[in-house]
Amino acid sequence: MSTLDIGGSQLGTSWFLLLSAILFVLGAIGVLVRRNPLVILISIELMLNAANLALVAFSRQLLNMEGQLFALMSMTVAAAEAVVGLAILVDIFRTRDAEDIDDLSELRG
Amino acid sequence: MALAVFFVAAAMAILGGIGVVAFHQPIRSVLSLVVVMLALSVIFLLLSAQFVFVVQIIVYAGAVMVLFLFVIALLGPARVLAHGRLRFQTWLSGLFVLVLLGLMWSLLQGVQYRQPEKGDLSFFGTVQSVAAGLFTTYLYPFELTSILLLVAAIGAIYLSRKRIDDI
Repeated sequence: MSTLDIGGSQLGTSWFLLLSAILFVLGAIGVLVRRNPLVILISIELMLNAANLALVAFSRQLLNMEGQLFALMSMTVAAAEAVVGLAILVDIFRTRDAEDIDDLSELRG
Repeated sequence: MALAVFFVAAAMAILGGIGVVAFHQPIRSVLSLVVVMLALSVIFLLLSAQFVFVVQIIVYAGAVMVLFLFVIALLGPARVLAHGRLRFQTWLSGLFVLVLLGLMWSLLQGVQYRQPEKGDLSFFGTVQSVAAGLFTTYLYPFELTSILLLVAAIGAIYLSRKRIDDI
């Protein structure tokens, strides 16, 4: 068991990873259960944030900056993903109501 | 003191995450996600990732979430939906998610951390150290990121333009 020195007190790295796992699982529940495409996008953002937390926690544990750099990169990718996803959603909503993600099934063969 | 900060921030993050999933109105989900992001930024600061902390607040809580809010305001309130077409979807996803959490929990039990070399915590995570990484070793991925953002901006403009045949 490894502990980190955080502002003078000791705290295990596993606590951060556990929080990251819980947030990721909450995001996965959102993607699987919710039917509104917007909420699904929001849940994906939650999962990306959980991954960022794990990256930063490992970066602190190993005292290696590369984890933080990767977290910054993943923030950029998340921003790009949100922009394109929301643009697609707005385009779909313009032609019809798509309150349910199951309505968008034209690509099914 | 720092322990209390961590546990309060972690509780806020988990409650916000539950709110993202549980609220029926999308706007409440977005505001819950803002709570999660602010709590996570506090935790980043505890992990001495100062630059990531600032970027989390400015880019995520500031820009991305405002974008979500604008889109929700544009699209109007959501109707309450009838139940979906897949009958067992909720139960199956609950089972899947429980298995996933169990897997990650059991992984955490046996994890062994490598002890780091002695590092200087007063330099770790500052803007200087981030920039030193981004502009030397990772210059190429950093420049590729700018192309990615350019492509995303062009794609968003193209998708949300006014169609000729709409007018």
